[in-house]
Parts: sequence; C-alpha cells; structure tokens
Amino acid sequence: MLFPTVEYLLFFLAVLVIAWALHRYSAWHKGFLLAASYAFYGFWNWNYVPLLAGISLFAGLTARRIQRAQTQRGRKAWLVAGATVCLAVLAYYKYTTFFLTNLLAAWSHFAPPPALAINSPVLPLGVSFFVFHAISLLGDCYRGKVKEPVRLADALLYVAFFPQLIAGPILRASRFLPQLAKPRNPRALRVNRAFLLILGGLFKKVVLSNMLATRLVEPVFAVPQSYGSWDTLLAIYGYAAQIYCDFSGYTDIAIGCALLLGYRFPRNFNAPYTAANPQEFWRRWHISLSSWLRDYLYFALGGSRRGTLRTCLNLMLTMLLGGLWHGAAWTFVAWGGLHGALLVIHRFWSRIGWKPLVRMRGSITWLWISRLLLFHAVCAGWVFFRASSFANAFAVFARLAAPAAATLATGPVLIVLILGLGGQYAPPRWRNAFELELGRWPVLLRGAAFAAVLAAIEVLGPSGVAPFIYFQF
Amino acid sequence: MTERIRRRAYPVTHSATEMFLLFAVFLSAALLLESEGLAHWAEGLEPGPLRTVAAPATQAIQQYLAPLNLSTLRAGTLLNLARVGWSDDPALIARAMPQPPAPKTTCVAAAAGSAATLAAASPAPTAAATAPLVAEVPRAIQLPPSLPPVVAGKPRVVALAGDSMMAVGLSAQFLREAAGDKNLRIVKAFRSGTGLARPEVFNWMQQYPAMIGAEKPDIVLVAIGANDGQGFVVDGKVLPYGSDRWRQVYQQRVDSYLSMLEASGAQVLWMGLPPMRIPVYNEKIETINRIDYTVVSQHPRAAWLNLSAVVGDSSGGFREFETTPGGKQLRLRATDGIHLSDEGAGLLTPQLLRWLDPPPPAPAANTAPPAAGAEKEPPAATPREAAKPAHVKASAKRARKHRK
Repeated sequence: MLFPTVEYLLFFLAVLVIAWALHRYSAWHKGFLLAASYAFYGFWNWNYVPLLAGISLFAGLTARRIQRAQTQRGRKAWLVAGATVCLAVLAYYKYTTFFLTNLLAAWSHFAPPPALAINSPVLPLGVSFFVFHAISLLGDCYRGKVKEPVRLADALLYVAFFPQLIAGPILRASRFLPQLAKPRNPRALRVNRAFLLILGGLFKKVVLSNMLATRLVEPVFAVPQSYGSWDTLLAIYGYAAQIYCDFSGYTDIAIGCALLLGYRFPRNFNAPYTAANPQEFWRRWHISLSSWLRDYLYFALGGSRRGTLRTCLNLMLTMLLGGLWHGAAWTFVAWGGLHGALLVIHRFWSRIGWKPLVRMRGSITWLWISRLLLFHAVCAGWVFFRASSFANAFAVFARLAAPAAATLATGPVLIVLILGLGGQYAPPRWRNAFELELGRWPVLLRGAAFAAVLAAIEVLGPSGVAPFIYFQF
Repeated sequence: MTERIRRRAYPVTHSATEMFLLFAVFLSAALLLESEGLAHWAEGLEPGPLRTVAAPATQAIQQYLAPLNLSTLRAGTLLNLARVGWSDDPALIARAMPQPPAPKTTCVAAAAGSAATLAAASPAPTAAATAPLVAEVPRAIQLPPSLPPVVAGKPRVVALAGDSMMAVGLSAQFLREAAGDKNLRIVKAFRSGTGLARPEVFNWMQQYPAMIGAEKPDIVLVAIGANDGQGFVVDGKVLPYGSDRWRQVYQQRVDSYLSMLEASGAQVLWMGLPPMRIPVYNEKIETINRIDYTVVSQHPRAAWLNLSAVVGDSSGGFREFETTPGGKQLRLRATDGIHLSDEGAGLLTPQLLRWLDPPPPAPAANTAPPAAGAEKEPPAATPREAAKPAHVKASAKRARKHRK
C-alpha cells in the first residue's frame, strides 16, 4: 500500500479512529498498531510478514540479552552476533546476486567459471529500513542509550511501525522506545503541522516528482543520444529535484501520519540543496540515514580519533557502504565514493588557515559560489545514482558537450523544476508562521482549505493508473 | 505572560476531538470536490469486496452531488491544464488542442491527435475475436519476411506500442540503438500500468490514436498484457480472471486493439510476453499469450514474436541471467522478474533494427557468390570489440554507418 492512494487514506482513517479509541489502554493500543502495521505490510506480500516479525523478535530478544549481560565482553558478543544475523538477512535478499555475478566475473579472468543458474530472491519491501531499525535497537542497548529494559511488544512495534516501515525515516530506538513507554496525550497534537506535512508531501511526490520524472528525467536517461546539452543539463537538475521531492515528500507524509497518531519522528530533510559544503549537505539530506551511518558505522570504525589518514579512510568506507546500502550495483558504490571524496576534500580544504582564504570563505559571495559548486558536484553524483549502468552515466555526461536546443523545457516542466529546487530557499519561518496562522482559522475553514489543496493535487497530478502490477503477487 | 497570550491567540497543539472534527470537515469537503475522482477510482479497482462496496457508494454520491455541477468545473480545469501543456493524458490533450503539431524530429513523443481521430476508433470485430483458443504458442522466433529497403528521404515510421513491457527496457534499448538512424522515425505509443483488460481505467482505443497523432505508422511493435491477469466487470457482472466469458471478452478486446493498430495499413509485430519469475503470475501470462497468439495468427498483417525464445531458458522457462561465452553473467531480466533488462532487450533489438532498416542491396560486382571455402573473412575485431556482447557491437556498427 502506497501513501498517495485512496486505499491508504481509508486504512489510515480506520487506524486513527481505533488507535485513539484505545489510547487509554496502552497494551491494546500498541497491539492494535502492531497488527495494523503487519496488515499494511501484508498488502504488499503476506509471505514476508513472518520475516518482518522474525527480525523484530530476534532484535528484541538479543537487545534484552545485551541489557542483561554482566560483562562488557558479553554485551559486545551479543551485539556482534545480533548485528551479524541482521546484516546476513539483508545481504541474502539484497546482495546475493550482486556478489555472485561479480565473483563469477572475477573468476572468468583466471579460469572458466562454474555454470551457475542465478535466481535472485524477491527483495522484501523496506528490508533495508527494518534491518537498520533492528541494528539501531541493538546498538542503542549496547551503548546504554536505552535506559529501561526492552519490552518485546515495544521492540516489535518499533521495527514495524507502518508510517516509517517502507521508506523511513530511520528511527532511533533510544528516542522512540521512550515514546512507546508513555501513554498518548490526546490534548497536545500538532494537527495543523501534520496536515501541512502530509499535503506538502503529497504535492512534492504526486505533482512535482512525477512530472519531472516522466517529462524530463526518464526520456533523457533512457536515450541520452537523442538529446543535446540543454536537455541533458535540465534532466540532471530535474533528477536532483525529483529525488528530493519524491523521498522528502514520502517521509513528510510519514512524519505527518505519525504526528496524528501522537508520535514524533525526526526530521529527515532540511533544504539539502542550500548546503554550502558536503558535510552540511549530509546534515540536511536523509538526516536519519546519515546520522545512523555516522553513529553506528563511522564512529564504530574509529571516527576522526585516529589521525588524518584513518579519518579519510573511515569517511570513504562509510560513504562507499552507504552507497551500497542504496542498491546492489557499482553505480551506487561510485555515488558513495564520490561523496566520500567530497567529504575528504572538504576536510582538507576547511583546514587551510591562510588568512586571505579564511576571509574569502566567510564572504557571502563565496557562500553562493560554494553552494553552486556543491550542488553541481551532488548532481554529478546523482547521474551515477540514476543511471542504469556506467555506460549510461557516461553517455549522459557526454551529451553535456553536444550543443542542441532544449526540447523538453516546457513551461510546466520549468515551473516544477523551479519549485522543486528553489522551494528549498523558502525561509523555514514561513512554514512555522503559516502553522501559527492556521491555528487562528476556524475548523470549518481549515478543513475546507485542506480539502481544496487535496483536490488541486489530484487535478495537477498524473492522469494515473494504479501500478497494480507490483502489488498483486 | 507574553508567551501565554501568544499561545492563546495562536494555538499550536490541538485535542484529538478537534482533530477528528477537522477530519470530518476535511473529508466532507473532499467528497464534495472529488466525488468524480472517487467514482473513477472505485471503478478502476480490481473486482473484489472493496470494489463491491466502493463502486456503488461513490456513484451514488456522484449522482447526488450532480446538481452542483462540480464535475463540469473539474472537467474544465483539466481541459485548461491540458491546453497549457500540464496534462499527461494524450486523449485529453487531443481534445484540448484540435490542431496537432506536425512531426519535426525523428522521434515523436506522444504527439497529440485530433478529436476526429479519437471518434473514429472502434473497428469492427474480425473472425479472430471468436477463434478457438490455440493449445500452445509456438516458441520459434519468426520475424516476418524482410522488408524492402527504406527509400531515401522517406523514413519508415515505426510505432512502439504497449504497456510497461514495452516502456521498461525494450523501448529504451531500441531507441538507443536506433538513435541517429535517419531511415526510421519512431513514435512512442506506450504507457506503463495499462493494459487491455480494463478500458474503464485506461482506454487504449482512445489513447493510441491520440498518441500517434498525425503519424501513420508503417510498422507497429507491440508488447502488452502484463497487467491483464485480473478480472473485470462487464455490464455490471464480474467476470473472474480465466473464466470462459472473461476469455471471450478479452479476446475481443485484443482483436479490436490489433485491428486499430493495423487501421492505417501498418504491419504489426506482436511480441509475446516472456516467462515470469513468479509461477502463479507466469501461468496467467501463458494464458494471455495463448489468447494473443490466437488473435494475431488470424490477422494477415500481424506477426508473432515469441520473447521466451530470446530470454527464456532451453525449455522456455524464466531465466534471469545468461552466461556469455566469455563467462560473464548477462542480466536478461529486470530485478522485478517481470520486465526485460537493457541487456535482455539488447539480444533482440539488433535483429529488429536489421529487419526494419535492412541494408541496401550490394552492388552487382559484390553479390557474386564466392568460391566454396573462399568466403572472405570480415576484418578482425579488436579484442575490446570481441569482448562486447553482440548487441553492443551491432549498435556500434550502426552508429559508424550513420556517421559515414
């Protein structure tokens, strides 16, 4: 079940009513949310609900073992064992084929490889997210960040809670489990904020992202040879806007839905294309993933405590593995490598203490130059991220040098491109001020206004047909 | 104190009761504004309990609200959006812009057709619509006899039609390899998430003429049906997938679609669906292939191409990878186990392009048969070229030819 569907609206309304009706009975409330989460997942494929439940149960039991272990060695042993099992599940579903094909390719350089009939397992929806949730639970218990003993029911709900199940944000056990321990407060809901997030997310995903994908990005990346420099450049910018609108839109809807149920999720995007350096970019882009990688991978590797060379190596390793997390292909690894290289270069650059350079770095002009430079470096990374192969990526780059008039730059495409990229420069206070202003409106006016926005999104969105091919089996 | 006053004037948090009140108003207003959209959504649902409840309910709401004339407002808005280029619905664009633009490039992307063309779309059923179902679809690849070479300055118009089976992998690979070929003009007439089983959701009889616009394809390459393994409703009666009546109606729809593709005198190459990874789904696809083949084999201007012979295993079953002679694993199918990958499509597209744009006949001096055993060897390929898959080499050769 996807968020921008009527089916999800009906499902969510039913969950909202029942969950709030049960809010005084904490165990029933959480039990119901867990059942609803499994039902939500089962809409995609019931066969994989046991996997989701199994991983959560395993993580919950191992977390309890970590908490109960008397020695540091014992705690570490349980952490390593738990994380290994979780990563093995992820590796089996996501990387088996990648590993085998690369192994056979390497083998073929030395000797004829064995004849293997490779059949990829069906990738469970959201497996990368729920495995990371399970590891977060283990890591937070190991570091003592989860103060109270882990309750199995809470661990199950933490991993499977439906608003974040398919595309995040990745919650931290140490921040979410305390929310589950407290009863919901029905008198302090940020309803207007939730509606703004949901409708804003829908607009970004259904209107902006869809139009950029179908009118600009897909045609150029499918057949780069047919387009010249202007179309190619626009398509690369378009993909930067598309992936931001698609992903941030989805997580905004998730955050809004959780707010209406009385739970707080962390912010996942914060105007990433306004960043002026790679470090800032990763503090603004997919924040829950970048902070997960920082806390559980970069710090575990030693962070920046073991000298410059080791820091650079840790940065590269973290970003390369972060790239691989996004998909089992070398293009994703290249994307991660490019970001790792940017972080390393920035680390050296920011340490140069030559005074004229320090003065220049503090100027407004340099701020805008660095924003522009970083945006284009990030866009170069997106080409690898979007391309189906390296050949495809290099074909796209090559077309940047092929002068030809723009054929895809229609008015609507330019409008959504400007909204998708330029919208990030809107001051954050505008949204807060608008939320406060909405608080003054009577309920009737607010409800009607929200409905009008929803109708506008439906009319402006694609003349769609549900992608039923993926959801039947 | 100031903070307290501000909080009272601009409440940030609300109670659950107020939230439900807001939802009630929101849903009522949304129902009012979106009654037509909801009815359309319910109509497009697959037959089942949800559709049984939602379809009559949303239709009743739509009829009840009809006097308010909001649907006219919605239709007018959609038409105006199509006029300014916002819409992606070819039929709507055709209605909004009665004068279709003349094709200028070699690749026409979903050009708009005239309203008149749309009205003309409903060919009479042929004998294929009621032909008895074949027991088995032949596996051999049978490209039709060679086409005559393209006359200089008069490119052959090729339409790529179908659902995501054409849109994902196949069309992109084909377009990449055909890029720069002045002898072919490609028209895109495909759309993901569509099919022939649910015309109330996406009506190909209206959309195809709108997509090809003023073009008159000489050849249509079609791959469609991956979404059609589902029941549908005819005259208020649910026809479960695979029932006799379902098969009869689906066969008629395939026949009408094929007749429409042939209407401008086009020759149609119908690509049967490849084997699928999930067995239950594959069984459905086999049935759809049998129906499609039954219809195609009855149409003299249509030919069948079995994709399972290209990307399937030796027994015609699903195969995800092929091992190349060099020992490399070539991915034939997308990771979803449904669509073709670029490499998988690349096994087919060079043959298609050779068929569509055959090389001109060689001068008489060169056509004399060589003496037995004295066949001239082609120039040796560089090791780098030798390592490339066949379709990559073919593509490079075509590109060199066109550069010349």
